[in-house]
Amino acid sequence: MTSLANEKTKATKLIMHILFYIWRNLTRNKLRSMLTILSVGFSLALMTVLHGYQAMQASWGKEAEKYQRLVVMSTQGFSGQVPIAHVDRVRGMDGVEAATPYAWFGGKYKDEEMAFAQFGCDPAAVFNVWDEFKIDSQQLEEWKRTRNGCVVDRRLAEKRGWKVGERIPLQGTFYSFNLDLVMCGTFDSPKTNDSVWFNWLYLDEGLQAMKARGAGNAGTIFARTQKADELAKVAKAIDDRFASSENPTRTQTEAAFAQMFVDMLGNVRVFILIIGVAVVFSLSLVTASAMAMSTRERTTEVAVLKAIGFSRRRVLVTILGEACAITLIGGLMGITIGGSFLELLHVVSSQFFPFSFREMLGTWIVNLIFVSAAIGLVGGIVPATRAAQLTVIDGLRRVV
Amino acid sequence: MIPAKYNVRNLRVRWVTTLMTVVSTGLVVWATVLTFGLVEGLEHALRISGEPLDLIVLRKGTTEETSSSIEQNVAKEISNLEGIATDATGQPLCSSEFVTILTKPRRGDGGTTNLIVRGLQEMGRAMRPSFKIVRGRDVKPGVNEVITSERMAERFQNLALGEKLEINKVLFEVVGYFEAAGSSAESEVWTDLRDLTGARRTPEALSCVNLRCRDEAAKSTLLKRLREDEQFKLDAIDEPAYFERQMNAAVAIKYAGIAIALFLTMGAMFAAANTMYAAVASRGREIGALRAIGFSRRSILFSFLLESVMLCLLGGALGCLGTLPLNGFSTGTANWATFSEITFAFRFGPTVLMQGVLMAVAMGLVGGLFPALRAVRMPIIQALRET
Repeated sequence: MTSLANEKTKATKLIMHILFYIWRNLTRNKLRSMLTILSVGFSLALMTVLHGYQAMQASWGKEAEKYQRLVVMSTQGFSGQVPIAHVDRVRGMDGVEAATPYAWFGGKYKDEEMAFAQFGCDPAAVFNVWDEFKIDSQQLEEWKRTRNGCVVDRRLAEKRGWKVGERIPLQGTFYSFNLDLVMCGTFDSPKTNDSVWFNWLYLDEGLQAMKARGAGNAGTIFARTQKADELAKVAKAIDDRFASSENPTRTQTEAAFAQMFVDMLGNVRVFILIIGVAVVFSLSLVTASAMAMSTRERTTEVAVLKAIGFSRRRVLVTILGEACAITLIGGLMGITIGGSFLELLHVVSSQFFPFSFREMLGTWIVNLIFVSAAIGLVGGIVPATRAAQLTVIDGLRRVV
Repeated sequence: MIPAKYNVRNLRVRWVTTLMTVVSTGLVVWATVLTFGLVEGLEHALRISGEPLDLIVLRKGTTEETSSSIEQNVAKEISNLEGIATDATGQPLCSSEFVTILTKPRRGDGGTTNLIVRGLQEMGRAMRPSFKIVRGRDVKPGVNEVITSERMAERFQNLALGEKLEINKVLFEVVGYFEAAGSSAESEVWTDLRDLTGARRTPEALSCVNLRCRDEAAKSTLLKRLREDEQFKLDAIDEPAYFERQMNAAVAIKYAGIAIALFLTMGAMFAAANTMYAAVASRGREIGALRAIGFSRRSILFSFLLESVMLCLLGGALGCLGTLPLNGFSTGTANWATFSEITFAFRFGPTVLMQGVLMAVAMGLVGGLFPALRAVRMPIIQALRET
């Protein structure tokens, strides 16, 4: 028993020794270590930001998955027709809890283009579809009574300084009817939603009076299912129901709907990958070059170590360890910088960066840490093996 | 002044370190130039799409062709306006068009995205910058045919020659590929005006009118005439301004490019500094000797800065050269003004390459400054004594 315990303490001691030795070497040429660390740090900060952006999109999809919502659109895309009669038919289907038309208005507010999102929906149903959104029941009643009323995301109202009763004129771009909305209340949502919701009927009546394009079109339909595991089944049932009608539909989960916008960006993933590979390769060279400098300076020293009985493996481990320590510290620093940068973007513009860094954490961070350690391994391998294979005689003879 | 040959030789003697630094800065410059080339390609496609004398007539209040609608009799009146240029046969250069957006799958695993389909007549096609059919033939009216660019055929399912594109359950056969000088027209699918409105079951519909003015004077009169007409309720935008607006779509990518450049330049600067510190440290004696034989501090500072800049410039040149095989390589992204796909080719023009070179110089200067200062500050005696 005692021998085993002894062995254990011996091993711990040895590791402590090696770590101490690595640390001393690391701090010997502080400037060089610092520069290498900073170099790795800034490059990994970039990778953190790029991968964080991808992670944000993933979080977006995950967020959307929680709420059992389906999006019904025309098979032709956003410019297609989803007749308003489809909404009632969807409501009548098995497994559907609530459904609302959801028409993107895209109007200009005063002179601002795309200042915030505006959707025409059904006041009686929309808060059943988004049941995680909260609104004061009196304000909701008021909105149901007011034909040209609207409710606003609380964050948006606060940002703009709007109070109940505020008039919000919107000039149509896609639709030729202009809205003159009155704010009836605000709603709270878990994530910035940055939207104004108005009554779809108000828009439709206006368009009908003008005999303008777009009358009778629900745009898209958002529906919530009763059970989470029925999403796919209900989606298929909806599409089958309309397949042979004049206006066939394409129904997908809210997550897939969100993914559609991500897909529109094109091969961003490939692009990020290419940049990542270039950066990692470049950093391996930087590390290799720095480690080569350090070991060259220490040739005599390594020979002395070997002369007093250090094994090849130990020399190898020490130098590889030093390289990994440098890149790991740099990597951790980079992830911190990149993370702060993402957090800053979230604070400054929560509309485009709706997730804080904390919410995006995932395995990708661990991967980045592994990548930074791997950079050290790859960069350190040549100098380390050269030092390990150095014969004592050669090392002592060489004058640096 | 210390001759530059001294620096060249130094770089050559420590060739392993030099090579590693050159390749690592080269990679960094390459990644940045790649991003800039992407933005440049996108902007170029939009920039050349606008003919200075062309006007796009839309319904008042809209800013995009895709959301506009114009009545047929109004379009007819527009074509009779004074000041529109005419072609050789005396026809006014004026084209009524219908534009719609379809959601279609990309080839491979690229998900779905939006696709612009434009219905127009022969006149409209002829008005696009150097429009020509490169494979197959032009569409015939009345038989549901489309033409598109080769790039689009590669990116979208059902868009290759001979394949059939479905629009509202009507199948349109792809009969040809066209080119239009790499303009944004090459991101669209074109068909006959009435075939498209027929398929969309809006036989009378028109989105916009595209016309060419006789000259600058006629353009300003026409702009005024169209914008101020109370009865028409129209808006006219000159084409360069129209596409200028769409360029905002590229702003996000542009910022991303700048952020990438900044982070990577910082990273590479530290790497360059490392190399140069090592160079200075190993040459203590040399520096002492140079000082002893009378070279001024300033010329030593300059010499080390030069060496550092040379080192990074080599990398920069390598990085820029590395992007050239990708010149003309086509890609695509979303045009956030129309919410649809725009395809374009990477472009590494002089400006983009210059930016890459400047970035390398900046790395060299900043990275080399502190090591060079250290070299200068070394006292001669101590420097000479160093091993």
